Amino acid sequence: MNSAIATHESPGPILSAAALPGGFTGPSLSQEERSLIVRLRKGDEGAFDELVNKHHGALIRMALGHVADREAAEEVVQDTWMAVIQGLPRFEGRSSLRTWICGILIHKAKDRGVREKRHATFSDFESHDDDHDEAVDPSRFHQNGEWAGHWAFPPQPWDEQTPEKLLASRQAVAAMQQAIDSLPPTLKEVLILRDIEGIEAKEACELLQITETNLYVRLHRARERVRRAVEIYLEGAALTV
Amino acid sequence: MALNPAQPSVPDITCREVAEWASAYLDAHADDATQVRMALHLAACAGCEAYVSQIAAVRDLLGRLPGPAVEPTLRDRLRQAFSANRTPPPTKM
Repeated sequence: MNSAIATHESPGPILSAAALPGGFTGPSLSQEERSLIVRLRKGDEGAFDELVNKHHGALIRMALGHVADREAAEEVVQDTWMAVIQGLPRFEGRSSLRTWICGILIHKAKDRGVREKRHATFSDFESHDDDHDEAVDPSRFHQNGEWAGHWAFPPQPWDEQTPEKLLASRQAVAAMQQAIDSLPPTLKEVLILRDIEGIEAKEACELLQITETNLYVRLHRARERVRRAVEIYLEGAALTV
Repeated sequence: MALNPAQPSVPDITCREVAEWASAYLDAHADDATQVRMALHLAACAGCEAYVSQIAAVRDLLGRLPGPAVEPTLRDRLRQAFSANRTPPPTKM
């Protein structure tokens, strides 16, 4: 694991809030994150609430991929927040803030998972879900003949309003959340880092110690499972109209 | 589902390959030749166009989904820890 990103940044001079704007040399911080960190270092509780609200759900989901149950996941996330609080004065911006937080979480969750002796299970997941099977069900494509490899059962187009309608539907949201929660850890953490937390591909690869090609294989398989959950929901919804 | 009437006659890449490369294509991660072949295929294939659009829609939706909320007791505990740990303002010499 990349130690600079994954856990605590290397010990260095503690930067005071006043020194912050010039103290960040890393290119990974957005302007929004820079101003948030300035507020955090000034002790702004509102800024801390913002930070927690923004990332807590994703951290819980990611932790659940590594530990036995929700209670253990909440403990891991609480430990992560405590480490963030303690590490903020030394955070130098060599990765984005969210990458740093997710790195701490992954480190702690994996550590807890190993202590729970669940690592063998994760290896099994990886062997089943790493890069060999196709993302889309092969039976949706012609197997033989002139159209071999082309759609036999193509997806039905969504209209422009479909995403908003999905977000407004409690059942659709539940279907997507269920699809995310059911993902094996290797797919779930990629999806959360990239699509929920919005971490750049390169930083996600460094965190997970995988290649970009591997990242996109996993990411696409995870997205496809969520897309398929939506497709099933929409097919069911059409039948009930 | 019915057979897609707009199936393409692009020999270079199949729908099955497009479906596998959809996320890499959306992030422009595929190599240049694949990006071009994908774009040409998508222009001619309604099924793949729908599929890639749906993957893009899912990608955009995921960041907007509500996640598990913070337990009130944990929130209080974290606020206390944050307040206790905050950097004191610099003192004048």
